[in-house]
Amino acid sequence: MSDVLARAEPIPTAPWVGRDVTIRLAPPAARFSLRARKAADVQDALGREVTGKIGTTINGIACLGPEEWLWRAPEGTATPANARIAITDIGHRHVGLIVEGPRAVSVLSAGCPLDLATFEVGRATRTVFETVEIIIEREAPDRFHVEVWRSLSVWLWMVLTTTAGD
Amino acid sequence: MSGYRLANGGRIDRGVRRRFTFDGRPFEGFSGDTLASALLAGGVQLFGRSFKYHRPRGVLGAGSEEPNALISVNRGPGRFTPNLRATGIEVYEGLAATSQNRWPSLRFDLAAINDRLGMFFPAGFYNKTFMWPRSFWETLYEPAIRRMAGLGNPPTEEDRDHYAATYAHCECLVIGAGPAGIEAALEAASTGKRVILVDEQDEAGGGAMSDPALWPWLERSIATLAGAPNVTLLTRTTAFGYYHDNFIGAIERLTDHLADIGKGPRERLWRIRAGEVILAQGAIERPLVFDGNDTPGVMLASAARTFALRHGVAVGRSVALMATHDSGWRDIVAMAKAGVGVCAVIDARTNVSNDVQAEAKALGIPVHLGQCVIGVKGRHAVQAIEVASTDGSRRRTIACDALLMAGGWTPTVHLWSHARGSLAWRDALGAYVPETCSEIVRCVGACAGTWDFGAGGLINTLPSPKPSHRARAFVDFQNDVTAKDIRLAVQEGFRSIEHIKRYTTTGMATDQGKTSNLNGLRIASDALARPVTDIGLTTFRPPYTPQSFGALAGRAQGPLFQPTRKTPIDGWAEEHGAVFELVAQWRRARYFPKPGEDMHVAVNRECRMVRQAVGIFDASTLGKIEVVGPDAAEFLNRMYTNPWKSLEPGRCRYGLLLREDGFITDDGVSARLDDDRFHLTTTTGGATRVLNMMEDYLQTEWPDLDVWLTSITEQYAVIALQGPMARKVLEPLVEGIDLSPGAFPHMAIRAGRICGIPTRLFRVSFTGELGFEINVPTAFGRALWERLMAEGQHHGITPYGTEAMHVLRAEKGFIIVGQDTDGTVTPYDAGLGWAVGTKKKDFVGKRSLARPDIVAPGRKQLVGLMTDDPNLVLEEGAQIVADPKQAVPMTMLGHVTSSYWSETLGRSIALALVAGGHGRTGETLYIPMPDRAHSVKVCSRLFHDAEGARLNV
Repeated sequence: MSDVLARAEPIPTAPWVGRDVTIRLAPPAARFSLRARKAADVQDALGREVTGKIGTTINGIACLGPEEWLWRAPEGTATPANARIAITDIGHRHVGLIVEGPRAVSVLSAGCPLDLATFEVGRATRTVFETVEIIIEREAPDRFHVEVWRSLSVWLWMVLTTTAGD
Repeated sequence: MSGYRLANGGRIDRGVRRRFTFDGRPFEGFSGDTLASALLAGGVQLFGRSFKYHRPRGVLGAGSEEPNALISVNRGPGRFTPNLRATGIEVYEGLAATSQNRWPSLRFDLAAINDRLGMFFPAGFYNKTFMWPRSFWETLYEPAIRRMAGLGNPPTEEDRDHYAATYAHCECLVIGAGPAGIEAALEAASTGKRVILVDEQDEAGGGAMSDPALWPWLERSIATLAGAPNVTLLTRTTAFGYYHDNFIGAIERLTDHLADIGKGPRERLWRIRAGEVILAQGAIERPLVFDGNDTPGVMLASAARTFALRHGVAVGRSVALMATHDSGWRDIVAMAKAGVGVCAVIDARTNVSNDVQAEAKALGIPVHLGQCVIGVKGRHAVQAIEVASTDGSRRRTIACDALLMAGGWTPTVHLWSHARGSLAWRDALGAYVPETCSEIVRCVGACAGTWDFGAGGLINTLPSPKPSHRARAFVDFQNDVTAKDIRLAVQEGFRSIEHIKRYTTTGMATDQGKTSNLNGLRIASDALARPVTDIGLTTFRPPYTPQSFGALAGRAQGPLFQPTRKTPIDGWAEEHGAVFELVAQWRRARYFPKPGEDMHVAVNRECRMVRQAVGIFDASTLGKIEVVGPDAAEFLNRMYTNPWKSLEPGRCRYGLLLREDGFITDDGVSARLDDDRFHLTTTTGGATRVLNMMEDYLQTEWPDLDVWLTSITEQYAVIALQGPMARKVLEPLVEGIDLSPGAFPHMAIRAGRICGIPTRLFRVSFTGELGFEINVPTAFGRALWERLMAEGQHHGITPYGTEAMHVLRAEKGFIIVGQDTDGTVTPYDAGLGWAVGTKKKDFVGKRSLARPDIVAPGRKQLVGLMTDDPNLVLEEGAQIVADPKQAVPMTMLGHVTSSYWSETLGRSIALALVAGGHGRTGETLYIPMPDRAHSVKVCSRLFHDAEGARLNV
């Protein structure tokens, strides 16, 4: 019966295309919050390499802070069973936005206080856009992936598209 | 064009004419003109009326220091800006500018009577005079005074513009693009650093723009900076504040200078984090203090030079200079060479260097040394000046139509002071200069006190044979403070400049005393016969110049002000006519009126359907926290009042959370999913606070516990099905969960699937009816809601909102934290003593529950109230008394916390906090209201189905 229930996204699925920047909804994905004392524990639990350095990403797993990782995985990835670490499914808690183009840094800098021009590719961190918490990852020199809580994504979408249009 | 425009010269574009109006009169200027330069070119000298005495005022300066020429600009509905400086308004085609603080007209202002009565309005006049009767101050005196004394009118309409904001980072931020700032920026840029150079004017150059000899250098330098990829040059940008760790706020004006403002933002707020800040803010020329120094046509020499050499405007046809500093001589010589008629140079000094004198003499300018201006003739414009030797002899009159003042220079240390930099007094400059600062910042050029303006003598007021108490010698032009006012303050016993400032209001205007502070200090120092450094120094604070609220708010306007959080089911509710209310940041459906229904009727129907059939409710906003780890149960046991370790997987428990002080801060039903995994719920408004509180305890008190908290509020859409038919609706849709009462009792949780989607299904009830709360991944919330609606149709399924939810829970006596509690209510007060695990060794707040005032009798306790008149619904918040006939102020026993019409009971019900309430059951109390006192009986909070029979079905 699963085909009966359709997903509903809070923001438009069509990309917003502006001068030198495109903002679009990332495709649905699985997301897990991984919590453990050490990166090695996570590594053992998942059977794949995991970074212990805060702000870096390996294998789609970003170390966001002490004892905390965010794993973004393809949609449908099942929650690892019997893991001895704390794994919480947060696949629907977030919405992913992709901000791409030569003006990506300038558009995100409208509300994000980080020095994004010097933010390395592959780096991921939890930060804010004005008052809203976001997680930002630089996937390419001119492409950022922004994770935001679902109910706040509408506001973020409005601000980003307004800014990009100014 | 009038004869005040010089035949050639200046940086204006004489090929581009700009038509504009001032007080409705048409004028013409050129591209590159400010409103001040264009009006001066048009022969206007009268620009405004002063703050207190309504004296006619002209232009004093040529930049952001201008205290007098304050102007309102109207760009149509919702685009009115008062108090702009004429020296900073760029003239555009169609500009509509008006003068301020005058009635009926600028030239004829009735309130100028204040000036005639000026001797009766000394410093402190209002405070001394309008003391009695006290009650008249707010109602009569202050409004009247405010109408009389004032600046421009505040805008009355909502701002129609929008504003942008951004962050920026650089290794080097240079503030001020005069010669020193440009040199500093060029040097920093050459090292490859990211450089931001900001300047408040429309063009970079600062003082160099008034010196044609520097123009080739200026052009080269700006081209270099503009071509450097690592340099951002921001003109029309005011750095208004310097905050911690080299964080600078600046506002860029994007459209104020344009005839067509387009659709873009009006201003942009720049929040700049800089590795190093270089302040090159320059210096401001100091006016001289003498009788009549505020007459229109009396202005700073440097300003007159700017008007002549930058804008090609002569400020008069016959201009005199009153100097105590060499810089004025240089300015007037440059002006004379540019074609401005000069009639006299007067200098209070006798020993002006020959070099300085030679140029003036070579141009045939009459020079008067050792003399001072002692008076100015003319009210709306200078007609002549009165001059005398410094010993009072040789009084005579010199005809002129403008008088320039050159009183030395004051380094602009505003941003330095914002950064808490210290200042050192320099006798030679008669000014404070930057000394040390804990930020990574340095000052260059004139703001550091290093300038090549020449030498000058320092005189606090020009000597005059006239009696000083008759002189109208202004120190603070914007706040109308004279030298006499400052002397009076000293006479009345004020010793510190901080007190003198507040008593006289000198330096307290919107210009923060840019032109007046040093003169005020020196006059006070003279009156006190103590050195300037002994009487203190006032502090500059942001903003450097007034800024619009819109720019400070940035994008936070209208729908972007702050996020309105909506659940996945919000769209359905909107399509079905829901009326919404805001709960914390969330928008929630309050009720779903059918055509013709008001709230009362709709809520009654919703309540009825829940009790009779089944209601469906969007509970997605409830806070949810997943607690995972081997110590999860231990952690919850320490946080909540009741025991958690014994809770079996698959079961739920009501959790009560106290603060350390023993008072209730949150509650919610939580479930044990597994040995090491719990699903907590919190109130909608408490979600963030509870997670933060738990994290705080976990990280600071019990870092040894192996347990982690994750917010899952938005991971799940939550749909509550409540009512006797709830199970019937659910049954066909659920797989893998036995819904029968035996297999799935009240206060249990099961994992399974609904419509093929994984679900955490709770059997809980906030209504007292058979109830389920279905958690599904959020993106499926709306689709599931629609399936449930379809499935429930033949069972009478009815969507209900927060209002019906409130009524239904009140009928069962369930509390809402924050409504029935107020931060001073303990579990015992709330009648929730059963939820306190007294046998537990500890939990947050346990120790406080034994405090003497917590166990003392007479505390306010939560009870039920029934009005004697069953149709009367009490006001929430109404006070409760025992004796309505008692004289006011009565002894108040408590207040009504919740009050509703109960459709189930066919009468009103209420909850209330009442002193000693649990012992008052059956007592009659009173609620005094404006019309009469209502009588109520204290009763149990369980108004409906006290034994809970309806739950366990």
